[in-house]
Amino acid sequence: MSGPVDRGRRLLLGAALSGVAGSAFAKASSAAAPLRRMEPLKHVDAGVLDIAYYEAGPADGPVAILLHGFPYDIHSYVDVAPQLADQGCRVIVPCLRGFGGTRFRDPATPRSGEQAAIGADVIALMDALNIRRAVLGGHNWGGRAACVAAALWPERCRGMVTVNSYLIQDLARAAVPIQPKHETALWYEYYFQLERGRAGLAAHRREIAKLLWKQWSPAWHFDDATFDRSAAAHDNPDYVDVVIHSYRHRFGAAAGDPRYAELQQRLAPLPPISVPSITLDGDKDGVLPASDGRASASKFTGQRMHRVVHGAGHNVPQEAPKAFADAVLDLMHT
Amino acid sequence: MTEKPAAPAPHAPSSQRLEPLRHVDAGVLNIAYYEAGPADGPAVMLMHGFPYDIHSYVDVAPQLAAQGCRVIVPYLRGYGPTRFRDPATPRSGEQAAVGADMMALMDALDIKRAVFAGYDWGGRAACVGAALWPERCIGLVCVNSYLIQDIANAMAPAPAAREVALWYQYYFNIERGRAGLAANRREIGKILWTQWSPNWRFDDACFARTALAFDNPDYVDVVIHSYRHRYGLAESDPQYAEIQRRLAALPPITVPAITLDGAGDGVAPATDGSRSASKFTGRRVHRVVPRVGHNLPQEAPEAFTAAVMELIKA
Repeated sequence: MSGPVDRGRRLLLGAALSGVAGSAFAKASSAAAPLRRMEPLKHVDAGVLDIAYYEAGPADGPVAILLHGFPYDIHSYVDVAPQLADQGCRVIVPCLRGFGGTRFRDPATPRSGEQAAIGADVIALMDALNIRRAVLGGHNWGGRAACVAAALWPERCRGMVTVNSYLIQDLARAAVPIQPKHETALWYEYYFQLERGRAGLAAHRREIAKLLWKQWSPAWHFDDATFDRSAAAHDNPDYVDVVIHSYRHRFGAAAGDPRYAELQQRLAPLPPISVPSITLDGDKDGVLPASDGRASASKFTGQRMHRVVHGAGHNVPQEAPKAFADAVLDLMHT
Repeated sequence: MTEKPAAPAPHAPSSQRLEPLRHVDAGVLNIAYYEAGPADGPAVMLMHGFPYDIHSYVDVAPQLAAQGCRVIVPYLRGYGPTRFRDPATPRSGEQAAVGADMMALMDALDIKRAVFAGYDWGGRAACVGAALWPERCIGLVCVNSYLIQDIANAMAPAPAAREVALWYQYYFNIERGRAGLAANRREIGKILWTQWSPNWRFDDACFARTALAFDNPDYVDVVIHSYRHRYGLAESDPQYAEIQRRLAALPPITVPAITLDGAGDGVAPATDGSRSASKFTGRRVHRVVPRVGHNLPQEAPEAFTAAVMELIKA
């Protein structure tokens, strides 16, 4: 393919499991400069959703689909998207179900946040846009969506970039405790199991999100305007339902949407990811501590490189956009 | 009252235990308790919290005994050597039960009236006893003011920063949390000590002395039930239904009360006492103790002892 400009950097895979990529640069916030928004958004009917998405780059470029997480929005990719577009990629950045301008087409569709659903949404979007193959990049929920799609539809995925490696949930072991110091960071997941947590999320969605941003990215000094730009996406009418369902489903406390039962059945054995993958961990990640990638190595049966991004927290694409963009481009070159 | 500032007594070393323990059948429990001071002195019930034990009073108890009090420091249900007498008794941790246990202990020891003093679960037991059996209560010393739970409104969210501090309560509401507490009770206890008393430099021996009490065979059941019941997500033990019904009205505390807040409390932030003022219909003094965290009697024994003595002398 003629694709993006070849910058002479080839993906080196195999020998070194753990590499080091870039650094997160804490940008000095400038109150005067208006924050860039990813606009305009396009809309497309895709499966059960009307998906709002941002698109940039040449229509005939190799496609990168960039998937955001909770409690974030598409602006996690505000710097990644133009970098990839400049390199010749067609970049698609959808609002996940429950976020921003994306809507359910049918009021009767269950507001599921389960992993099978967000993975299926990616494929539905690709179908709707007639995209045959793409590099899937994501973090948090978006990383999970990328893993689900890459594992179940490898023929649609030319490569995968995720933060925190393999993210398909092992629901059968969700009730097994982990080290207490790591359990404390998951307070919101337990909180959301209770109706108090649902009410709290509905009433204080911004406060909760800002707290999580700070806990998960302790070294990232985002300003209010940066937070507010993303938090606007949390006013989606399905946000609370989808988020609550997501965190209950992963603990087995909420039933899945039956339309995804077969997919969930295929996810239960934790299928491997066979497509070329680059996994990134921020060494300042406050919710999922950086790893050397070994614990998840058996889940990647294709080429896989793991990189630790110095200075970055959980929101790697926004905190260290060059490291994220480079990983996507590395996969484009393979 | 005016007091001459006295040099604070040296704190007990971490190796010192409140011993020997006595045992008495009291209601559904066989209660293990520490006793000190003259048998005819005014009685003081010192009630510990979660995840702590009687050693929260390791300095308070001798100070009160030295001033002539009869001090009773029981292990709560689920802690230390206290045991349920019947294997069939539900391992409830509800507020009515811990309050009723204290009254059962007073009955068993033939103590007609006492100062009720406590913090955390023990403060709640003290509040329950003071509210429902004021004729048995000389006065109340309680950390964090009025602690009777408003279960009907337990699903109303608090500000996000406050909810984070309650992570363990939400954790304990799912089975993962029960398994986590069973497997990691010491680690969880130490994390909570650290979060709740960020200015308190306790050593490993100090924590280990107390953590032994968590090996009680009923600890996990009682703790989990307590944190589920307060959200309305676990059934009450029917034998406490009538007490719980009376507590649901959030009855006022009419006895003289001194409430203490630690300015460094990491789980129940210090207040000026005004929000809980309407719950105290008798004399009530509220004090904030600088720097001190949630385990106030162990961190600031002089302040706690002084509050008890003021009620006895009043």
